[in-house]
Amino acid sequence: MKIGWYEKIKHAIRYWLLRQLPPCKQTVEVISQSFERELSLRERVILKLHLWICAWCQWYLEHLQIMRNSMREKGLEGPEIDFPAAPTLSSEARERIKRQLTGEKD
Amino acid sequence: MSEAHSKSPNQSPDAVVWLEQHGDYLFKYAIFRLRDPTAAEDAVQETFLAALKAYGKFEGRGSERTWLVGILKHKITDHFRRSTREAPIGEGEDDGPEHAEFFTRTDEWEHHWNKDYAPTDWHATPAQLLEQGDFWRVFSDCLSPLPERTASAFALREVDGLTSEEICEALGITVNNLWVMLHRARLHLRNCLELNWFRRQTDGQ
Repeated sequence: MKIGWYEKIKHAIRYWLLRQLPPCKQTVEVISQSFERELSLRERVILKLHLWICAWCQWYLEHLQIMRNSMREKGLEGPEIDFPAAPTLSSEARERIKRQLTGEKD
Repeated sequence: MSEAHSKSPNQSPDAVVWLEQHGDYLFKYAIFRLRDPTAAEDAVQETFLAALKAYGKFEGRGSERTWLVGILKHKITDHFRRSTREAPIGEGEDDGPEHAEFFTRTDEWEHHWNKDYAPTDWHATPAQLLEQGDFWRVFSDCLSPLPERTASAFALREVDGLTSEEICEALGITVNNLWVMLHRARLHLRNCLELNWFRRQTDGQ
């Protein structure tokens, strides 16, 4: 019974809060901007509150972090991405560059 | 002249060796960013020519490849700068899909996540993803439907780690413009990865 009441109140607070705060569509824009600039205090507080009640936006933030960190690592390690269309320099391009390189010296 | 480090200070036979050793690597790097084989070939060629001219400045600090990649990054940025000049940004130009369907439009929860598109647990860390070659193939497929400028801005920011100012200067866009592009790219890419990689991974297990 006690837990039931507690859950009900918590749910009511969250529901009320979610109605007061900017919706997810705007929140994900702020999340994206938090990767680009320092958020204002007001923005940070609103974002924190939204994240407190919205698991979906929490995942969104985490996914952007995973994407950024893995891409940065990938960039350092070397992008050994398979590009089936053109995996290597074509022999024509290779010859052309070779001619340019040796031609430069004459 | 730092003769201690350069094997042959007066000639550059190294250039052709470079092409053999690093040509394909640089090409892959370039095509990942430029997505156009001809532009990538040009960037590689310009890189080698610039490297040849600047060889005196390469004092053997770090590897040759790192040095060459550094030059290539400049050439890639130059490419974007040029193509921006040729096609100045139009008002309301396509910055990428808006994906309005990701959020509900009706009922009391307007503009909150649409359940069908809402993020879920990925059960993954960056370290794990780096080891999965297939993930990066999906990744590059997911980037391809984005407009070129948006994809370029996104890669320059997230892969090369350029600052907002550097990207805006190179692409000739305003910072607000850049933020819209990055936001659209992230929204699109996150969803595409979730659908085509993460949900399939959990389904398979």
